[in-house]
Amino acid sequence: MSDSVFSVLTRFVEEYRNRTSSKLKVIDAYLLYILLTGAFQFLYCLLVGTFPFNSFLSGFISSVGSFILAVCLRIQINPQNKGEFLSVSPERAFADFLFAHTVLHLVVVNFIG
Amino acid sequence: SVSNQTSTIVLLVFMLALGAQALTPSHHLSPSDVDRLQAILSQPFTDLKSAYFSIVGLSKLGLSVADANGACSFIKANVDSSSVESLFYAAEASQALASCEIHVSNETRDLLHAAVSEDSTVSQIHQAVSALSSFSLPLASQEVVSALKARISKEDNVLAITLALQTASRLSQQAELGEILEEIEDLAARLDDLGGVYLQFEEGLEATALFVSAAYALSDHVDVEPPLKEDQVIQLVNSIFSKKSWDSLSEIFSVASAAAAFSNNRFHKPVIVSALGPATVSHSQPLLQLQVTDVLCQPLSSADVVVESASSVASKAAILSKTPFTLRDGIFELNFMASKPASGYYQFSVAVKGDSRLVANHVELKVKVSTKVAINNMDLSVVDKDQSIGTKTTRVEYPSKAKASFVADSHQNFAMTFQLVDETTGVELTPHQTFVRLHNQKTGQEVVFVAEPDSKNLYKFELDTAERKTEFDSMSGTYALYLMVGDATLENPVLWNVADLVLKFLEEEAPSTIQSKNLYVPKPEIQHEILFSGVLEINPPLPLFSVQWFKLGANISNFSLSPSSLLFHIGHAAMLGLMYVYWTHLDMFQTLKYLAIIGSLTFLAGNRMLAQKAVKRYSTHPVHIYSEVKKLNRCMSFGEK
Repeated sequence: MSDSVFSVLTRFVEEYRNRTSSKLKVIDAYLLYILLTGAFQFLYCLLVGTFPFNSFLSGFISSVGSFILAVCLRIQINPQNKGEFLSVSPERAFADFLFAHTVLHLVVVNFIG
Repeated sequence: SVSNQTSTIVLLVFMLALGAQALTPSHHLSPSDVDRLQAILSQPFTDLKSAYFSIVGLSKLGLSVADANGACSFIKANVDSSSVESLFYAAEASQALASCEIHVSNETRDLLHAAVSEDSTVSQIHQAVSALSSFSLPLASQEVVSALKARISKEDNVLAITLALQTASRLSQQAELGEILEEIEDLAARLDDLGGVYLQFEEGLEATALFVSAAYALSDHVDVEPPLKEDQVIQLVNSIFSKKSWDSLSEIFSVASAAAAFSNNRFHKPVIVSALGPATVSHSQPLLQLQVTDVLCQPLSSADVVVESASSVASKAAILSKTPFTLRDGIFELNFMASKPASGYYQFSVAVKGDSRLVANHVELKVKVSTKVAINNMDLSVVDKDQSIGTKTTRVEYPSKAKASFVADSHQNFAMTFQLVDETTGVELTPHQTFVRLHNQKTGQEVVFVAEPDSKNLYKFELDTAERKTEFDSMSGTYALYLMVGDATLENPVLWNVADLVLKFLEEEAPSTIQSKNLYVPKPEIQHEILFSGVLEINPPLPLFSVQWFKLGANISNFSLSPSSLLFHIGHAAMLGLMYVYWTHLDMFQTLKYLAIIGSLTFLAGNRMLAQKAVKRYSTHPVHIYSEVKKLNRCMSFGEK
């Protein structure tokens, strides 16, 4: 059982390394960074306490929001998904990503206090 | 014998039970309300109807119009002889004035007689009959009765039946009014009981008030007691007199009529007993003063007001029994202090007698006896804990302060004893609030203790310096000692700076600074700098991220230095900078303003830049376009074929 899981994992990592374009890998690295930042914020809140709660919420939501937006960007610029996003060029996806981030930052900075 | 005794006891218990449940009016007219009623009724007339309300209303209150002659001329000028209603107003109003005769022609008389029939409404019959009666014209009472009976069965509403009752009170006593009289009971059954306090028709205040005046008018006329129980009478009083600002002249008229009916009928006279000012007596003010009036605030001068019993609330000991009040200037007075009551609260049971019509004439009243307190034998001493050194007691007289301060360290106790007595009688008192307050003037600390009396009512306060050090935060220094005495029955609450007390705590336990326990100061604003530096320091994933991107070959080598690209990056950086400035300085509105400017610039530049990138991408991947062109060719050639 663990054998098959391990072999699946190694196969997955190999395929990822070979098949994924570097552009997507860049975004994946960014995603991992955001994920870890969010996890660290949550851990801090658990250990140290919730004061000031609005700051914690704002920071955490910022991580979550950025993660989601980056995932959307990744989906939209992945050439394998071109069929589903005919009207959205990669540049358009990136512009949407920037705009959504502006709105997100505005809200986060307002709430962070 | 035994059976006699038991029956008396049963009767007593029964009467007590009744007495305990008897209602007293919770709402009644005050003298200012009566004045207001009078003032509104005295306003100048606008038409004949308002003249009727004003003149007749005032006469019911026992008052008369200011200008009787002017009123009479007004009535004569405004009466319309062809209208039964107008004749009704004129007739009633002129009757209420001292000498105002209105000439009635034969046609008018015939018109009024014609109105009395089964085909007219009850209201019309009422107006016609009242007008005929006020003009002193003859009328056939039996005809009226039959017409009324016929109409009542057709118009079965509260107002109509009330008017029928009112009409019947103007008829001859020989007529058969029995059936109409029964309508009082039927109507009374229609009253709504609200919480056991109010009794009123759902039609409202005016209907209830008019019913009361009509019911008593008819009952007086036939000399038959109306079927209203005492509690119902009081509930009616509550309903009618709870409203103190009235909507219309007709409502005011109905209230005035009801008030007149309650204060002046043959059967029921509600009594209003209230204390003049607060029900408090003291040595300076020894008289308990009561106002005993009817509903129109007229004092019942012929009544006997007696204290059935008065007992202390605390000890239940009886102080007075069957003691009469004396009437002076319309106020009933009793010198309660003559019975030398101790300070506290007393439950009085007052009865008003002298008239069999009186309703709600047993009242319960709570009377407060207040007094002045004197502090005797205030002794202060510092006692050594092991009691090897004898105590030195200092006596302090109120209100002076002890000359020397007292010193107590952790080996000593500070003790204070005193007595609180009634200034006049010398009886010992135990007020609700007896506190000892220690105030450190330098640090502002304040510690309050309660002084307790022992079994002999001697107050003792002991301060064990070592035991109580936490209350004082072990802060040594001079504390001003105050004695605070207060109670609801004390006229002179006491705040007395008795002495200064120097407390010495062990040095090593004292805190370096006293943090004032000020809970209500706004908390300090969280400094942004602290958080921001934290973000930069505590960012573990950042190095990992940088390394990853570096490995993946993220580089800035592909940066085109076109103006739009440059502008885009500058604009984007400016937006991020604006976010920081927003966090530290700006508010949402200012930020949105700047964001709009920077954002549009960035958007335009970015659009340009991305478009250029797109063009570049298409140019390096021409296959994509070629396949599109080929498709297009195929279509076109198809068309050609």
